[in-house]
Order: sequence, then C-alpha cells, then structure tokens
Amino acid sequence: MAKGMFVDTSICTGCKACQVACKEWNGLPGEPAHFHTVPDRPYPVAFNFTGNSYDNTGKLSATDWRHVRFIEQFNEGRTEGRWFFSSDSCKHCKDAGCLNACPVKAIVRTDMGNVNVQQDVCIGCKYCIPACPYGVISFSEQTGTVHKCTLCNDRIHNGLGTACAKACPTGSISFGEVEDLKKKADGRLAQLKGLGFLKANIYGYSEAGGLNVFYLFMDDPAVYGQPINPVVPQRRLFRSAAITVVTAIAIAAAAIMSFRERGIQKNKEVTP
Amino acid sequence: MSPESQAPRWEWYYIAMYFYIGGVSAGAYFIGSLVELLNKKELRQVSRTAYLIAFPLICITPVLLIADLGQPVRFWHLFFYTKDGMPYMNLTSPLSVGTWALLVYSGMSFLSFLNVLAGEGRLPSEAIKKFHTLFNRVPHKVYAAAGSFFGFFVAGYTGVLVNTTARPLWEASDPLFGPIFITSAASTGAAALAVAMLWQKSTARDAFAHLERFDRVVMIIELVLIGAMIVVAGRYAAPLLTGQFGVMFLGGTVLLGILVPLWLTWRRAASGAANDSMAMLAAVLVLFGGLMLRISLVQAGQL
Repeated sequence: MAKGMFVDTSICTGCKACQVACKEWNGLPGEPAHFHTVPDRPYPVAFNFTGNSYDNTGKLSATDWRHVRFIEQFNEGRTEGRWFFSSDSCKHCKDAGCLNACPVKAIVRTDMGNVNVQQDVCIGCKYCIPACPYGVISFSEQTGTVHKCTLCNDRIHNGLGTACAKACPTGSISFGEVEDLKKKADGRLAQLKGLGFLKANIYGYSEAGGLNVFYLFMDDPAVYGQPINPVVPQRRLFRSAAITVVTAIAIAAAAIMSFRERGIQKNKEVTP
Repeated sequence: MSPESQAPRWEWYYIAMYFYIGGVSAGAYFIGSLVELLNKKELRQVSRTAYLIAFPLICITPVLLIADLGQPVRFWHLFFYTKDGMPYMNLTSPLSVGTWALLVYSGMSFLSFLNVLAGEGRLPSEAIKKFHTLFNRVPHKVYAAAGSFFGFFVAGYTGVLVNTTARPLWEASDPLFGPIFITSAASTGAAALAVAMLWQKSTARDAFAHLERFDRVVMIIELVLIGAMIVVAGRYAAPLLTGQFGVMFLGGTVLLGILVPLWLTWRRAASGAANDSMAMLAAVLVLFGGLMLRISLVQAGQL
C-alpha cells in the first residue's frame, strides 16, 4: 500500500531536472544569492554558491527538498576520476525519527505512507531536526516552522506520481508501490552485479527500519553522503530513560543517607 | 553515527539556560521535599528555603522555552492537538512528555511555595488564601512527593531528550546525559540552597553540614559519570574536549565546578573551622559549573 520512490543512481546524469520540478510544483523560492566583493576580482561574487562543484545547493534545506549530490573524485592531475550523482530527498522512513520526536503531532503519516509536516500545527521547536539521521527536515526563519519533501502529497493523492519522478529524463527516479519498486531494484542490482559492478548495493531495505524512498548506490553509502548504520533515535529512548531512572534512585538514596543524623554526629565528635 | 544530521540551532541562552534553571529548581525542590518527607524537624530551614526558591526559578523557564519557538504563540499546541482539540502527549517524544511533567511540577512547586507563605501568614490576598485552604485539605506531603517525582523528571528528561537524537556527540554519549543532568541538578540544587541560606545568614549549622555532605557525594557521582561519558563517546567527544567548549567543559565544569569545590569542602571539613566565605565560594562555583555543563554539552553537540 505504501507509496515510495526508487532512485537508481547508476543512470542519473546529474541534470537537476528533479530539483527544478520540485521547486516548480511545490512553489519553493530560490535561494537568494548573497554577493560580496573579493579583493582581486572586479565583479561581485556570490558567497553562498558552492563554487568548486557542479553541486549547487550542497544540502537539503527548508526550500531545497531535492538535492542532486555531485560526488566528484579526481586525482591531482585530473587524469583519472569518477563522477557520481545521487538525487537525495526525504526517505519517508517506515519508522520516522522526526515523526516520533514531534511533540505536537505536526508531523503525520498519510494513508499512502508518506510523512508530512502540517504547517498550521508546527510550533517550530526544532526537535525533529536533530532526530533525522539524514539531515533532511529543516527550519525556515521565514515561516518559523520546519519543511521537507511531502512525496508530493497533493499529486499522489490525485493519481499522479511525484514531480521529480515525472521530470526525470533517464528514469533514475521511479515512483510507485514500494513492493513493486523493490522488485525493480533487485532486478537492476542483479544486472549490475552481472556486469561486474560488485560494489553496487541497495540502501534503504533494512536501514533504520526500512525506507520508503530507497537508493541503488554504486559504492559505499558513505561515498554518497548517507549514514552507514542509521538508527532511529527513539529506539534508544527506553534504555536512556531507564538508566536515568536508576541514577535518580541512586541520588535519592545518597540524599537519604546524607540527611541521616548519624554521620553528622560522628563528625561532631571528631571535630572538637 | 550520523554526521549528516542537522543541528537544531538552539540558542544557549534559551535551551541550555532552561536545562540549567529547571535543574536547579528541581534539585532544590527535591532536597526540600525529601527533608520534609523524612520528618526532619530540625532541618525545616532547608525545606522552607527550597520551596521559596524552587517556584520563582521554574517561573522563568516557560519564558525561555517559548522564546525559542519559531511560532511562539502556538506554544499551547504542546498540550492540545489543534485538529481535534483533545489533550495530546506523544510518548515517543521526551519533549512532549517533559512539557507535561514541567506543567505538573510547576503546579506542585506553586502549592509548596504558597504553603510556606501561608505557614508564616504572608499570603497577600483573600483569593489566594481561599485557594490555599482549598488545596490544604490534602496533606502537603502528598504534593511534596508528587513534586519531587516530577521534579526529577524535569531534571532528567532534558538529558534523555538530547540523547535521543542523531547528532554524533549526542548519539555517541547516549545514555549518559540523563544521569549527568540529574546529578548536576541535585548538586546545583544543593548549592543553590547553600547560597540562599548563607545569604540569609541562616543559623542552621546542622542543615548546612548535611547539604555539604550530600553535595560532596553527588559531585563524586557526577565526576564518575562525566568520565564514563567521555569514554563512551570516544572520538565523537572531540567537540566537547577542544576549542571553546573544551575550555567551558573541562575548565568550567570539571575543574572549577567539581574538583575545586570538592577540594574546598574537603579542606573545610579537615580544618573543622566554620568558614562561611569558603563555603559560599564552593557553592557559587558549583552553580557556575552546572551552567557551563549545560551550555557545553548542548552547544558542542550542535557544532
């Protein structure tokens, strides 16, 4: 039943059509360029552009819900190199850290399995931000709330796929039922392994309880800037709380011991 | 570990400050209520002082918390889900459970505060007197026990809250922030009581010896927990041990906030002289160390 996306990075060309489609459909503003002057350049230079990479946003943010990550690995003389692209977004985790952390039920899961922020409920406490292992959800100073990819909530509830998948010219991003996408991913992985790409792997089957948006990577997930063993933070909650309770009991015991009369009287006997 | 995770950018003067003030209030309240529950008549001065400082301190905290919100006027969403108007609590979110605990604790500390004033005939108006008699039907010890429990919750949940995130330092040091925050709350609570009693030139010498003894035990526990935390966090502890937060944490918390006060109280106990200025210095250093602890742990995790 859950809808999701499969991102096959092996056929991504880094065209950023998905980034543009996402901004267009969701009405997200562009990043304002902040220009400043640099000593030996006669023209103003924007300091919030990455400048040394074809990667133009560098990260996901409240207004960049899709980010085509450019992995540019070249040797010193630029004679050898490899160039990977990976279109990143919210993974719509099956056990979502942001949703678990939200104290006001602003972050909810819809009947199609996507995780959404209700903008009129969010209070801007920012606790969901560190709760996301992938650094997806972000705070906007303009609205005072958090924003992230909605899996095109309005489109998918009206029979359309996501805008990014629709715009993708190579079929790198595909939208559909998670179970169907998994079959497609397994087939593609087997094909690549057969061709000798032994490092190819699927990211998102078991990571953090499973991701509805998952990836086929050609190398280690860390190369693509994804955490290797992401943990849903709330799975550690019980242990953390239990050990705090044990400490509280120890402190209470220490207090009862300290406020007994005996030790103090003994002290009095010693001091004079 | 998840280096990709983003920092919430909580300001130290709101969130770390709240962790600190909430801890001092809860620690003081806990000591005061424990003394009352143990029926220590001769230590009455301690519980009186505790109740008198716990409530005003906790009154500051909602202001800090609300000021940090992106949408401050929506703070009431923490208690009611706006889509159905029903009370709401998210059991997987320490922030949600902690907000409710803070509410209950504030109520209990308010009642204890009124109780002290009523006992001394200092209630300002008729309405407040009526309010107090209404709640006085239940013995105050019931409030003290409940307040003490929720006070501990307020002191400790903040550490659990910070630990249940994906930030490298906070994730790596799990589950030790809760214990460290709780011990620091107890220690700074005792120090706040000591400062308040010294300030009033209290004559309760006995009470003072008890407080100091308690603080000594707690500071040693805190030191052990901090050591364990540094070991557990391993290389992820780097932002906490280097740079400005290294100075704050190692210099402010460990050295000035724990080791120096321990040495001062030990020397005082050994010399046997009742040296108030030395005791005052030790207590003030403990309070300073507690503040540096919250700021360094909360801000270093956001680097």
